[in-house]
Amino acid sequence: MSDGVNGNEVSTGRVRALGVPAVRTEALWKVYEHEGIRVEAVREVSMTIEQGEFVVLAGPSGSGKTTLLNMLGGLTRPSDGQVWIDGTDISALSERDLARLRLERLGFVFQAYNLLPVLTALENAEFTLLLRDVPPEERRERVEKLFERIGMGGLEDRRPGKLSGGQQQRVAVARAVVGEPALVLADEPTANLDTATSTALIDLMAELNRDLGTTFVFATHDTRLMERARRVVRLVDGAIVDDDRRD
Amino acid sequence: MSTRRRIRLRLALRNLRRQKRRSVLSGSAMVLAMALLVFSRTIAEGGHEDWIDSGVRMGGGHVAVEAPEYRTRRTLEYRLSPEVRSAVREALASPEVETRLMATAPRLLVQGLASSSQAALPAAIMAVDPELEKDFSALHEKLVEGRWLGPDDRLRAYVGVRLASRLKLKEGSRFVLTAQDANGDISGQMVRVAGTFRSGIPEMDEGFIQIPLSTAQEWLGVPGAVTTEALLLRNSRDVGPVRRELASALEGWSDEAAVLGWRESMPELDAAVRMDDWADYVFHLVLFVIAATAIVNTILMSVMYRTREFGVLRALGLERGEVGRVVFIEGMILTAISGVVGMALGAAIVWGFFRNGLDFSAMWDMEMEAAGIVIDPVIVPRFHWNQILQSLFFILAIGSLSSIYPAWRATRIDVAEAMKFEG
Repeated sequence: MSDGVNGNEVSTGRVRALGVPAVRTEALWKVYEHEGIRVEAVREVSMTIEQGEFVVLAGPSGSGKTTLLNMLGGLTRPSDGQVWIDGTDISALSERDLARLRLERLGFVFQAYNLLPVLTALENAEFTLLLRDVPPEERRERVEKLFERIGMGGLEDRRPGKLSGGQQQRVAVARAVVGEPALVLADEPTANLDTATSTALIDLMAELNRDLGTTFVFATHDTRLMERARRVVRLVDGAIVDDDRRD
Repeated sequence: MSTRRRIRLRLALRNLRRQKRRSVLSGSAMVLAMALLVFSRTIAEGGHEDWIDSGVRMGGGHVAVEAPEYRTRRTLEYRLSPEVRSAVREALASPEVETRLMATAPRLLVQGLASSSQAALPAAIMAVDPELEKDFSALHEKLVEGRWLGPDDRLRAYVGVRLASRLKLKEGSRFVLTAQDANGDISGQMVRVAGTFRSGIPEMDEGFIQIPLSTAQEWLGVPGAVTTEALLLRNSRDVGPVRRELASALEGWSDEAAVLGWRESMPELDAAVRMDDWADYVFHLVLFVIAATAIVNTILMSVMYRTREFGVLRALGLERGEVGRVVFIEGMILTAISGVVGMALGAAIVWGFFRNGLDFSAMWDMEMEAAGIVIDPVIVPRFHWNQILQSLFFILAIGSLSSIYPAWRATRIDVAEAMKFEG
């Protein structure tokens, strides 16, 4: 069986390239020019993230964490260099294929939760499954199971406006992992949460990483998250200055 | 319907519901525009039908059969022979014409002179069949003094009130009509005044006389002939098919008979209707601009407000075009609902308050005349469903055109930038 993007094989019910890294970048650059001023947001970043890793991109504000994360997610095109996601060179993909790759192989968690306000918690969580034409029964079963696991059982029919910040972020995590993507990209997922909620959310993501084998890449300042990461990649002025593996 | 289509529709519907106040406000502008459009079109249609009805009854009918040169030469040389009239009568019996026909009026019209002991004045002399003419023209209802022509009348005339006054004629007075006969000789005929009329049209009241057809045919030496066979139809929209049917039936008589619609036989009335139509079009354009502005404003504001959401949709795997389609569908739903509600409201207002007519008599207390017709101050609106549906189609077209720009804007959103947006 082959998937829609590059013919990778399916294993354990999800699209997963066998033996290839979840992420690989080669001499990645992102340069912005505005009114004659050149800003190098990301400078020659080459890195590999294996499947199942739990990685933090750390660094001060303006160090290029979010820009790098956006390039990994195909949300921003690199100025130079290449990005492979699950073995696919996304730098060469069309807009349509990029959208398809995001749908089938990536999950996103944002700082501001970014749930769709017109959908219920359950509808938000199953949104990517809907787009992927997963049958309704399977959809519901997967989301309900996941909701039980993340402590959202019974809140399925609530709209985001009726959920707390922590609950909204849990739904966002559920939306990101329900499709069993190759990679979940999370930009400051705990920044808007209190300490207890942050800790619970980090526990949840670590658990999902361990149990489902989902690769997580975070851009964060949160020291608690850094402490839990098995690898911390430090960025300063857009370049990698340290790659700390704790396996 | 595919899953993705269902998702787009669901998102569009819920977004409209979510911004209820904004949706209702802009929907109201479109409802009002559509209701005004229905009101304006039914009133305009009613007014025009009245004008046309009044014009064709006084003039040559919805459709007229005449000799081809008669329209320009106006002499008895160019008359319809009894053979042509017989062919016309045969054509009128065809089901395509008969079902649409309300009345016919054979007429013989000559320019002549009316002379009394006091004066001699030029006059248009129209010879008519009194029985048939009564069902056709409303002139017999405009009686001032005396009576309308009867079926047994021979030497009687129905005279414009101002002409009668200038000739010092009263009911029963004798006077002489003079005109060129079929041989080109000047011929006179003495008649008596049966009655006088006031049509409201100065040209008619000052210089128009009706006499019995048989009298004129004998006097002018044209037995069985007329200059015009005028047809009154049930609906002015039937002119086209009736004209085509008659033209086809009279194909063998094309040198002697031409079939004219009212627009050709009454160019002044045609011009007046067209001019009024243009005024309506300008008004409709203003309404369309109001509706379009409301849609563009609402949808564009909604797009700006939801920049981050569109970014999320793109990040989750929706394509650019799909995000645009969500916005486009919102615009179309808003337009379709508002259009139908506006149409129903407009129709209800017209039906509920104005079905017996919109009375403008308080605004003008004397008879108003234009383009050779008397304008009735009471306008009865007319519903033509094809016109109403046409208006709805226009509103939908405006809605779809107005939704294109906001939809395009939604497709241009930069996903990474959208995530920073504070809506």
